[in-house]
Amino acid sequence: MPATETKDRLHGTLDALVLKTLSWGPRHGYAIARWLEDTTQNAIQVEEGSLYPALYRMERKGWIEAEWGMSELGRKAKFYTLTARGRKQLKAESAEWAEFARAVSTVLAPSS
Amino acid sequence: MPRLGRGGRQLGSPLWKASVENEVDAEFEFHVEMRTREYIARGMDPSAARAAAVAKFGDIAGVNAECRSIGNQRERKMVTTEYLGELAHDVRFTLRQLLKAPGFTIVAVVTLALGVSATTAIFSAVESVVLRPFPYPRPNELVFAFTHWKFGDGGVSVGDYAEWQRRSNSLAQLSAFQFKGVTIAADGSPDRVTAAYATANVFPMYGVNPQLGRVFTTDEDQPGHDGVVVLSDGFWRRNFAGSAHIVGRTMTMNGRPVTIIGVMPASFDPTDSHEDLWAPIAFTPAQLVFHDEHYLTVVGRLKPGVTMGSAQREMDLVAKQLSAEFPATNKVSGIRIQDFSAAVIGDYRARLLVLLGAVMCVLLIACGNVANLLLARGAARSKELAIRTAIGAGRGRIVRQLLTESLVLAVLATIVGLALAWLCIHVLIGAAPASIPRLAATRLDGVALLFALALAVFSAIVFGLVPAVRAARGDVQGALRDGGRSSIASARDRVRAVLVIAEVSIALTLLVGAGLLIRSAIFLNHVNPGFDVRGLLSMRIALRPASDSANAATEAEQIFTRLATELRARPGVEAAAITSSAPLGGGGGSNGIVPEGKEQSIANAIDARLRMVSPGYISMMRIPILRGRDINEQDARGNVRVMVVSEALANAAWPNQDPIGKRVSCCEGSPDDPRWKTIVGVAADVRTGGPTQEIRPEFYIPIAQAPSDAWRWINRTMTVVVRATSGDAVSLTPTVRAAVKSIDPSLPVYSIATMSDRLAQSLAESRFHLELLVALGGVGLLLAAAGIYSVIAYFVTLRRHEIGVRMALGATAGDVVRLMTWQGLRPVFVGAVLGVIAAVWATRLLRGSLYGVTANDPATFAAVTVVLVIVSLAAILVPARRVASVEPTTALHG
Repeated sequence: MPATETKDRLHGTLDALVLKTLSWGPRHGYAIARWLEDTTQNAIQVEEGSLYPALYRMERKGWIEAEWGMSELGRKAKFYTLTARGRKQLKAESAEWAEFARAVSTVLAPSS
Repeated sequence: MPRLGRGGRQLGSPLWKASVENEVDAEFEFHVEMRTREYIARGMDPSAARAAAVAKFGDIAGVNAECRSIGNQRERKMVTTEYLGELAHDVRFTLRQLLKAPGFTIVAVVTLALGVSATTAIFSAVESVVLRPFPYPRPNELVFAFTHWKFGDGGVSVGDYAEWQRRSNSLAQLSAFQFKGVTIAADGSPDRVTAAYATANVFPMYGVNPQLGRVFTTDEDQPGHDGVVVLSDGFWRRNFAGSAHIVGRTMTMNGRPVTIIGVMPASFDPTDSHEDLWAPIAFTPAQLVFHDEHYLTVVGRLKPGVTMGSAQREMDLVAKQLSAEFPATNKVSGIRIQDFSAAVIGDYRARLLVLLGAVMCVLLIACGNVANLLLARGAARSKELAIRTAIGAGRGRIVRQLLTESLVLAVLATIVGLALAWLCIHVLIGAAPASIPRLAATRLDGVALLFALALAVFSAIVFGLVPAVRAARGDVQGALRDGGRSSIASARDRVRAVLVIAEVSIALTLLVGAGLLIRSAIFLNHVNPGFDVRGLLSMRIALRPASDSANAATEAEQIFTRLATELRARPGVEAAAITSSAPLGGGGGSNGIVPEGKEQSIANAIDARLRMVSPGYISMMRIPILRGRDINEQDARGNVRVMVVSEALANAAWPNQDPIGKRVSCCEGSPDDPRWKTIVGVAADVRTGGPTQEIRPEFYIPIAQAPSDAWRWINRTMTVVVRATSGDAVSLTPTVRAAVKSIDPSLPVYSIATMSDRLAQSLAESRFHLELLVALGGVGLLLAAAGIYSVIAYFVTLRRHEIGVRMALGATAGDVVRLMTWQGLRPVFVGAVLGVIAAVWATRLLRGSLYGVTANDPATFAAVTVVLVIVSLAAILVPARRVASVEPTTALHG
C-alpha cells in the first residue's frame, strides 16, 4: 500500500529529526519544535499535531523516555531523553535517509 | 531485587488513567504558553499571541485524544511487563529458595503430591463412572421401564411391552432386550456367550451406527426371518481377530446357522450388561399378547421436552388400564420409569462421591501440613521480609511473592502428583471389582488435568494465604529487632492451633468412616450364608435347544440325572447335585406362590425364588432342614407333587403354623386345575445374593416334577454343585469336565468357581470400598500426626528461651513436658469434638454401605477417638521430651 508507505516515510523522517534533536540532550516538546525550526531556518515547520503523537509513539516504543522536570523559566515541563534503543534507531534512520537521499540525488543530479 | 513500585501508578488504577490525561493536558498547556511568550517577545499583544499560539497548534482536542490513547496503551503495556517481570522474578527467587532448603521442599512437595494424586485418581474414576455422558446422542432422554411390584422393580412381559409401546405418548421409542446364554460353535469346541435378543429399534433408538456392516431391520425382527446377528466389538476381536471380512459369514448359535451382518463399536453397551452379540428377538403373535413371564429389559427414549415426571404419570395411567383389562396377570403390578444413568450407575455414584470427599479430606490435611511448614519457614524468614518491607516493598507485593511461592510448590506437587495419579488409576482399575460400571474406562484425560491444576491453585491458596497474610502483617520493627521471636510467635501459635484442630477433626471424620466400614466388614464375614461353602465347586451347564419338543423335559431331566450319578461315582467327589440356580450364582427366576385356601389370584401370590433340585441337594449343600425332610428319589414324576420351602417363605405363607402338609399352587396349572404341591420340609434361609443382600422367600421342587415350561424359563441351563472329599474344591475341576464330556462332549461347561471364591466375590465391592476408605483414613491419620508433631517440635524450638528461663527458675523437665503435652493436646481435644460432630453428619452418606452397624455407632466413635488421641499424644511426646535435654544455660544463650 503506497499511501501507508509514504506516511511511514514521513513518520520516519520526523522520528529521525526528533531523535537527532534529542541526541544533544533532554528537551521538552516546545524546545524540540523550536530547535527544528531554528536549525532549518524554518524550512521545516514541525506541526504540533504531528510532533506530540510522534513523541508519545516513540515513548511507547521505548526509543525515548519522559520525565517531569523544571524548565529554564522555572515551569514544570515534560523532558524527553534518548534511550539506548532510541540511539540505535537514530543510527538506522540516518543511514536509511542517507541511502534514500543519495538515490534521489543520483536521479535528480544534472548529468555531467 | 524486584523493582520497587512507582507508588500508586503500578496498581494500574483509575488514578493513573487520570494521570496520563493530566500529563497530556499539562504538556500541551506548557507548549502553548511557551509559544505565547515567544510571540509576545516578537512584539505581539498578549491576547493575540495566545490566540496565535493556539491556532498554530492546530486541532488541540484531536491531538490531545491521540496522545492520551497512545499514552494509555503504553501504560497498560508497562503494567503487564512489570507484572510479568515480577512474576518471573518471584518464580526464579522461589526456585532458588526451595533448592536452598531441599528437606523442606521434598517434604512439602511429596505431602502435597500424595494428596493431589489420590484426589485426581478418584476424581478420574468419578468422571468416568458418574460424570462422563453416555456415548449416545441426547442420553438424558433415555429411560428404563420396569414392571413395578410391591417387593421391587423387575422385568417386563412381552404382552406388557407391546401394550406400553402402543399406549404411550411420551416415549418416542421403546425397545426390549432379553439376555440369554447361547452356545456358539467355533472350531468344534462349544463356547458359551451372552446374547441379547433385541427389538430392531434398539440401534436407531440409541442412535449408534455399526462400525462394520449393518444392523438388523424390522423385517428381520420377525419369526422365521431372524437368522442374523450383530457382534460386539469385543466378541469380534476375540473370535474373529477383528477381521474386516466378517460381514456375511455364518456361524452356529445354539446349533443353528446365523449370518453375521454387522459389528457394533466398542462403546456400545446399551444396558451395561456386556453382552457379546445382538440377535432379533422376533416376538411371535402369541408372545405379543402374553402378559405373564417377566423377562424383558425395556429401555425407551422420551420425546423431546417430555419430563420423567410426566412420562411416569402417563405410564401410571397405562398400568391402571392394563390392570383393568388383564386382571389375571396385571392386577397388582405397576410401571416404573427410571432415569437411564441412575439405573446403570446406581449407588456407585454415592459411593464414589463419598470417596472423593474422603480423598479431598486427605488433601486438606496435606495442605494443613504444608501451611504449617510454610509458617515455620515464614517465622525464620520474618527478618528478610521485614527488611524488604522496610525498603519499600508494599504489603501486596510481599503477599504476592509468598503466594507465588505457594503456587510454585503446588505446581511442582501437581507434576509429581499427576505421575502418581497415573499409577494410582492403574492400581485402582486392577484392584476394583469388574462389576463397577465404566470404571475400566478411567483415564487421566484433559478434564482430570484441569481438575489437578485447579486443585493446585486451590491448595496453594489454602496453605499459602494464611502464612502470607501473617508474614505481611508482621510488625516490621519488632521483627527487625528480635528476629521474629516474641510477639509474632504467640499469634502464630493460635494459627497453628487452628491448623491442628482442623487436621484432627478431618482425620477423625475419615477414621470414623473407615471404622464403620471395618465393623461392617467384620459383620459381613460372620454372616452365615446359609450353607457350607467348604470344598464346594459349582458350574453351569447348558443343553442345546430340544429337537423334539414333546420329550424336551424328560430328555433334559435324564441328561442331568445321568450327570449327577456319573459325578457321584468319580473319585474325590463326596456329593454332587443339580439345581436350576445355586446361591451366589446366576440363573433362576421367581414365581408367585398361592397357599391353599386363598383365592387363586395374583393378588394373593407370594413372590418366591424357584429352585429345581435333584434329590439330596439340600442336605448336600448342608442347608439345615428345620422341619420335615429333603427332596428324595421317591419324589418322581407321577407321584405326589412336593415342595420344600425356605423359612422366610414358611413365615410369610403360614405365620405361626406348621407348614408341613399344607398345599400351595405355583408355576403351572390354572384356577380349575391348581396342580397342588404339598410342603414336605422347611429349609433354613440361604443368602442367595451374598451376605449384603436381603433374605427372600425361596422354594425347592424336584427336577423330576418340574413343570414343562420351567425348562424354557431356565433356558435348559443348570448348575452342578459338587463337594470335594478333600475339601480342595479347585482340584475337582478336571474331574467335573471329564464327567460332562463322558455324557456329551458338546455340552459347554462355564462359570466354574468354588463357592468360597463366589462368596468372596459377592463381598468384593464392599471390601474394595472398605480398603480405599481405610487407606485414606490411615493416610489422613499419619498426616495429621505429622502435622501435630511438627507443630510441637517447632513450638519447642521456638520456646527454648522461655523453657530455659522456667527451668532456671526451678521447673523440672517433667513439669515442662507436662506443660508442652497439655498445650499440644488442647487443640487435639477441640479437634476431636469438632470431628465427632462432623462425623455424625458425614457418616449418613455411608448408610447404604453399612451392614450390622448404625451410622452413629458409639463404639466406633469412641474407639476412633481413642486411637486418634493416642497417636496425637505420641506425636506430641516425641518432640516434647527433647525439652528435658535442654540445658537452662544453653537455652538462655540461644
